[in-house]
Amino acid sequence: MTGWRARHYVSALANAPKVARFDQPLRRLEGVATAIGLHRKMLRKPLAGVLHAIIFISFFVLFTATIEAFGSRLFPGFSLALVGGETWIAGLQDFFAVLMLIGVGLALYQRYVLRPARFKGSSGSDAAIIYVLIVLIVGSLLFEAAARILGGADGSWRPVASWLAGLLGRIGVPAQETQEICYWLHVGAILAFLVYIPGSKHRHMFLAAPNIYFRNLEPRGAAPAVPRDRENPGVDKLAEFDWKQQLDLLSCTECGRCQAVCPAYAAGLPLSPKMLITDMRDALAAGPSALPLVGGVISEATLWACTTCRACMEECPVEIEHLPKIIDMRRHLVDEGRVSPGLQDALSNLTRLGNSMGKPSKMRARWTRELGFPVKDARSEPVDVLWFVGDYASYDPRVQEITRKVAELLNAAGVDFGILFDAERNSGNDVRRAGEEGLFETLAQSNIDAIGECTFNRIMTTDPHSLNALKNDYRHFGAAFEVLHYTALLAELIQAGKLDLAPVDGGKVTYHDPCYLGRYNGGFDAPRDLIRAAGYTLHDMPRCRENSFCCGAGGGRIWQSDDGVAERPSENRIREALSLGDIDYFVVACPKDKVMYTAAIDALGVADKLKVLDIAELLVPRPTRDTAPEAAGVDII
Amino acid sequence: MNILVVLRMIPDSAGELQLAEDGRGIDREWLDFQLNDFDDHALEEAILLKEGSGATVTAVAIGEGANRVLQMAAARGADEVIALQTEDDAMISSRTIAATIAATARAKSADLVLCGVQSTEDVFGQLAPYVGALLDWPHVSGTNRVLPDGAGLRVTQERGAGVAVTYEMALPAVLGVQTASKAPRYVSGSKLREASKTPIGRATLEPSGFERSAEIRELRLPTQGGSGEDLGNDAENVADRLVAILAANGLARK
Repeated sequence: MTGWRARHYVSALANAPKVARFDQPLRRLEGVATAIGLHRKMLRKPLAGVLHAIIFISFFVLFTATIEAFGSRLFPGFSLALVGGETWIAGLQDFFAVLMLIGVGLALYQRYVLRPARFKGSSGSDAAIIYVLIVLIVGSLLFEAAARILGGADGSWRPVASWLAGLLGRIGVPAQETQEICYWLHVGAILAFLVYIPGSKHRHMFLAAPNIYFRNLEPRGAAPAVPRDRENPGVDKLAEFDWKQQLDLLSCTECGRCQAVCPAYAAGLPLSPKMLITDMRDALAAGPSALPLVGGVISEATLWACTTCRACMEECPVEIEHLPKIIDMRRHLVDEGRVSPGLQDALSNLTRLGNSMGKPSKMRARWTRELGFPVKDARSEPVDVLWFVGDYASYDPRVQEITRKVAELLNAAGVDFGILFDAERNSGNDVRRAGEEGLFETLAQSNIDAIGECTFNRIMTTDPHSLNALKNDYRHFGAAFEVLHYTALLAELIQAGKLDLAPVDGGKVTYHDPCYLGRYNGGFDAPRDLIRAAGYTLHDMPRCRENSFCCGAGGGRIWQSDDGVAERPSENRIREALSLGDIDYFVVACPKDKVMYTAAIDALGVADKLKVLDIAELLVPRPTRDTAPEAAGVDII
Repeated sequence: MNILVVLRMIPDSAGELQLAEDGRGIDREWLDFQLNDFDDHALEEAILLKEGSGATVTAVAIGEGANRVLQMAAARGADEVIALQTEDDAMISSRTIAATIAATARAKSADLVLCGVQSTEDVFGQLAPYVGALLDWPHVSGTNRVLPDGAGLRVTQERGAGVAVTYEMALPAVLGVQTASKAPRYVSGSKLREASKTPIGRATLEPSGFERSAEIRELRLPTQGGSGEDLGNDAENVADRLVAILAANGLARK
């Protein structure tokens, strides 16, 4: 019956497009072991993690009772007594039965007393049913043992059951009949549970491990390419998702951890990563319908709300991949030309000019004019470091000053660097994540060609978004560059003694981890080292490092309107920084963050309390005769 | 219905305009070119008509970057695309191209010619009336809605003070489009890539047929008068200066 109830899922997975997820078995197993054996992600929420671990371990111990229950009647004479069924196993069962009830008690306390917001939208009946079934199964198990003890069996390994036997004895129930009733109640509840599982979120008991095993082992920053055998760039039917994407849907436990960390959800936009998955899951379970996937099961507004910050995927205990699904469905929308006016403007500008602002390419390097020294053209002479500057750092007047500051720091450290001038194009990171795969390919190819003309050792980027595209996405075209963020290069220069700072007696600052530097590419420490090296005291916000909260600009959101936003993620974040108390500066390491958070501080009217500074603005080189910028201003371009 | 759409490439207004050496034109060598926005709407109107009543659409593009724009037009649904060869670095004069547009319309058996109502190089909107006159077809400019209506069209024209007028027009006709019935659609990079294989036809410029009645003597860029002040581009300073100026002139109080 269980199999029959699962038949839709089995056939959906069997007919789904293929995807290679069978390599590196040891690494895959190791992930399963830490995720399940150590409950690594589960324990990030201590109460939920502990109670789940209790129920999880108790389940395995009590499974021995299930074997006994079925074995003893199906095969007369079957018993675990030979391996200790009446001694130590009985003792464990007795103990873990109580522990299981404690676990369920904690779960009840969490779900009905604490009521965390992340459960909003989860199935309440699924949760209630499992509590009742567990209590039935465990209760009947205990009482059956108690009745057996009442009937004369040895209870020395079962203290709890013995105690219950005493109670039963005092009430005066007949031992034989009670044992029989409890047995059938036990077996009946187990069978009911088994039949119930395939239609419930408790499928995860079977699917969590395979879903974690078959997780994506590619670099986090590489968005999945469009499979060659797919007809259109996007996905508009559930059946077009590969089997792992479909397995994700079935594995969801509705724990809502993704929803709790989602900046779009917090902003009041119509996106909950959890409901995204469960809505698609329900559509998969319901089978073919007239409702289209994109714009039907999942609304367009839901898809465009995502900032691609990856917090949901980082948090998911069963390794569900939300982003590839969102990007694939966005690809369908873009292919059909269904984009918002803001996004259309940006994408049209990018198509025409290679930048989202609609500025001429020839103005890309204009920021260099106000430098006191010339910047090398990497296309015409070899350089050590090829600096990929990026759109915002090149064109936005609010960021250009920081760009010049970075140039001055590089110059002070004696770094041999150059830029691509008007040959640079937008890296395409957010273009790709907005679902514009064709334009991404055009931009990437153009940059790869331009970079290919240059002689250099390493690439440095200002923008974490460019960093991610060049380092991870461009591998799709066979381009493997050594790419690092400017914070990493500057930290390295300080370490090597090439950049000598004049540390100040700085105040307390906090630091915002950009999604594409931190969560995507693990760049957590270099920015912090730089802040300390500059002489400031770092006070991290509660949501930092992997748990950083997105500014709201990523994945093409910066090109779209704020319609429907109740609280901008950037303002939510500034409030978090303000709650730390006496913080002087809100330090950032991404050009978009400078723009986003300066606007957020103005909108909140707290410019007198907090100022946004880029890390480069904190760093002051020690003036020496050798490294002083040359006075002779050379006009370039 | 056979529709001919005219797509003119004009200098990108975000670029810096400089005079040519002879002082009679703009130095076009260092400029980026983009599709005239009104022509983009004309193209969209043509595609909407095609989708509404099954027309064939021929797009003719003129100027630097014509091929790129024609690929875009093909990706959006144009059936045939033609690049009109003009002299490099010459302004696209409506007088000069009207005869060729009219000839192409005849050659393609077009019964509707659509172009933008104006362009930065034709601010008086002369192309549509020129073509209408040469073909001896009726013409309406400043349209913001064009719908198929039996054998003809129902055309809405925008007038002053928000007044709109609707015509029933017989074909053939020439329309100067101000805005399309719907905003121009986005065409994805993958569709553009597919359309890059579309063969692009060539056409050469025909003699204009108009007698030259006047010549440009001098072109002048706007000069900075004494009444303006450049506040620079640093947002904070600009804001401070603006507040100070407004306060000094009694227009605001701090």
